[in-house]
Amino acid sequence: MTENGVVFVIDDDESVRDAVTNLLESVHIRAHAFASTEEFFRRGRPDTSCCLVLDLQLPGTTGLQFQQSLQRAGIQIPIVFITAYGDVPTAMRAVKAGAIEFLTKPFQKEDLLSAVYRGLEADRVFLHERTENASLHERFSELTNREIEVMGLVSDGLSNKEIAWKLDLSEPTVKIHRSRVMQKMQAGSLPELVRMSDRLKSASRA
Amino acid sequence: MTPAALTYPKTFDRNTDAAARSISMGWRATVWHMLRPVAAYGAAVSFVGISFILTFLLQRFFPYPFLFFFFGAVVASAWFSGTGPGFLSVVLSTVLVDYFFVPPFNSFSITPSAEAYFGAFVVCALIATWVSSSKKKTEQALLQARDELEQRVSERTAALMRTQGELAHLSRMLSMAELTASVVHEIGQPLTGVVTNGQACLEWLSASPPNAEKARRSAESIVRDGTRAGAVLNRIRALFQKGRPEKEWVNLNDLVEGLMILLRDEARRRQVRLHAHLEADLPQVRVDSVQLQQVILNLMVNAMDAMNDSPAEERRVLVASRGTRHKGIVIRVEDCGQGLAPELCEKIFEPFFSTKPHGIGVGLSISRSIVESHNGQIRAFPRPEGGTVAEFTIPVFAGEIDD
Repeated sequence: MTENGVVFVIDDDESVRDAVTNLLESVHIRAHAFASTEEFFRRGRPDTSCCLVLDLQLPGTTGLQFQQSLQRAGIQIPIVFITAYGDVPTAMRAVKAGAIEFLTKPFQKEDLLSAVYRGLEADRVFLHERTENASLHERFSELTNREIEVMGLVSDGLSNKEIAWKLDLSEPTVKIHRSRVMQKMQAGSLPELVRMSDRLKSASRA
Repeated sequence: MTPAALTYPKTFDRNTDAAARSISMGWRATVWHMLRPVAAYGAAVSFVGISFILTFLLQRFFPYPFLFFFFGAVVASAWFSGTGPGFLSVVLSTVLVDYFFVPPFNSFSITPSAEAYFGAFVVCALIATWVSSSKKKTEQALLQARDELEQRVSERTAALMRTQGELAHLSRMLSMAELTASVVHEIGQPLTGVVTNGQACLEWLSASPPNAEKARRSAESIVRDGTRAGAVLNRIRALFQKGRPEKEWVNLNDLVEGLMILLRDEARRRQVRLHAHLEADLPQVRVDSVQLQQVILNLMVNAMDAMNDSPAEERRVLVASRGTRHKGIVIRVEDCGQGLAPELCEKIFEPFFSTKPHGIGVGLSISRSIVESHNGQIRAFPRPEGGTVAEFTIPVFAGEIDD
C-alpha cells in the first residue's frame, strides 16, 4: 500500500533530517530529504502519492508561511509539521490550514508513522479525485454549447418540457440533446449526472 | 574597578578576619596600654637630658646660656608624648636651667638681674608646650577622621561590588531567559536525532534478516548527535558558569562563533539573519571569557531587539572582529533597526536606563563595567546607512595591567 508513496523531509538540521529519513526507510517508506523549502520547490511534487514532513522553524520562511505559499501556488500536498517547541496557537493554525499532524520533537516512531500514513492516504485520495476530475473535464469539453445548456438545466431539476420551453426548442430535440449528454459524459443515471455537474461547478470555482 | 567586582564577590569572611585581627591586637594593646605612659614620660626625660647635655657642651662657645635646645625638648615632648610629658619636660628644664645656667650657677637661687630672663624662659616653655600639644591634638583628630572615612569608603565599595556582582549575575540570568527557546532548540534537535535514529536502529535490527550495516550507521548517527548535544551544553555552561573570574588567553572569534550557534535559532524565530565577518589570525587576548561572552551576547540580543519593528527582509545583524597586537581587538555589532538618537549614545550605558519597553537597563551598564575592567572601551553610535553600531575594544595586553 505504501510502496508507491514517497515522503519528503524538509529540515535545515542535518541530525533531524537524516534521522527521520533513516526511520522512514527502516519501515520501507521511500524518503527524500531537503535542507530547504527552495530545494523542494525546485523539484516540485511528483504524480505519485507523497507527503511532506516539514520543520516549523526554517531559516527564511517559516513552515506556516511555506504551507501558505504552497497553497497559493496551487500545490496540494499533505503536511506533517515537526517542531522543537510547539505552542498550541501555532499548532491550531497549522492544522486549520490543512496540516495532517503537528508533532513536537523528539517524537515517537508510532506518532510519526501514523501521521505519515494518513498523509500518504489523503494524498492518494486527492490524486484519485484529480484524475477523475481531469477525465470529467475532458468529457465535458466534448459537449456542444447547446448540450452544455441542456446539461445545466437538467442538473437544476427541470423537466424536458420546461427545458424545451426555456430554450425555445421542441421536446423531442431536448430529448436527443439529453441522451447525447448522458452518453458523452458517461453518466449511467440522472443523479450521477447531477453529481458530475456539481463537481465541475466546484472545480471551476476553485 | 577590579574584575572581582563583576562576579561573585570573594567569600572571604570579613567578620572572621576582623575578629582575628582584634584578638591578635588584644594582648599587644594591653601591653602597649601599660607601657605607653612610661615610654611617654621616659621620652620627655630623654629629650630634656639630651638638650641639657648639648647646652652644657655648647655653653663655652656663647657669652650667655644657649637655652633653645630646651624649647626643642619641650616642643618634642608635647608633640610626641602629650600634654603631661610636655609639662614634665617644662618642669625638668626649669629646674635644670635654674640650677646650671642661671646665675648664680650650680644653685637654685636666682640673682635679681636674671629673674626676668628666667621668667621669660618659663613662660616661653609653657606656651611652647601648649601650642605643641594642641596642634598635635588637632592633627590626631584629623587623622582619626581620615581613618574613619577610609573605613567607610572601603565598606561602601565592598557593598557596591557585591551589588554589582549580583547585577552581573542577574543580567546573565536575563540573557539565559532570552536564550531559553534557542537552547531548547539547539539541544532538542540532536536529541530528536538520537531518539529517531535509535528507533530506526531497532527497526533495522528487528528486520529479517537484520540489516547490520544500516543499524551500525544509525548507531553512529546517535553517537554524533549525542556528542553535539553535549557540546551545546558545554557552551551554555561556559556562558553561565558561576565562580571566580578567570583570565585566560582566548581568541575572541571563538567566543563570537560560540554565540552564533547559541543564537542561531533565536535569530531564526525573530527572522533575523546573523552574519559574522571575523578577521582571520586575530591576536589572542587575556580576558575573562565568560564575562566577555556576556558582553557580546548583550550586544547581539540588543541588535536583534532593535529590529523588532523592521520588515523581516531588512532584519540583519553583523558581528565583525578586527584587530592588531598594537591597537587591540575591536568587536563590532551592527543592526539595521530604528537607529539610536545621538543624544542617547552615552545614556544607554547608564545603569537602569533602557529604551526597551520591558528593559531594566542592566545589560549595557554591566557590559561597560566588564569592558572597562579589561581596560577597554565600549561605545555606540548611529550607523550611517540606518541602524546602530555598538563596538568595544580590548587591548591585547589587557590582562597584564591589573594582574
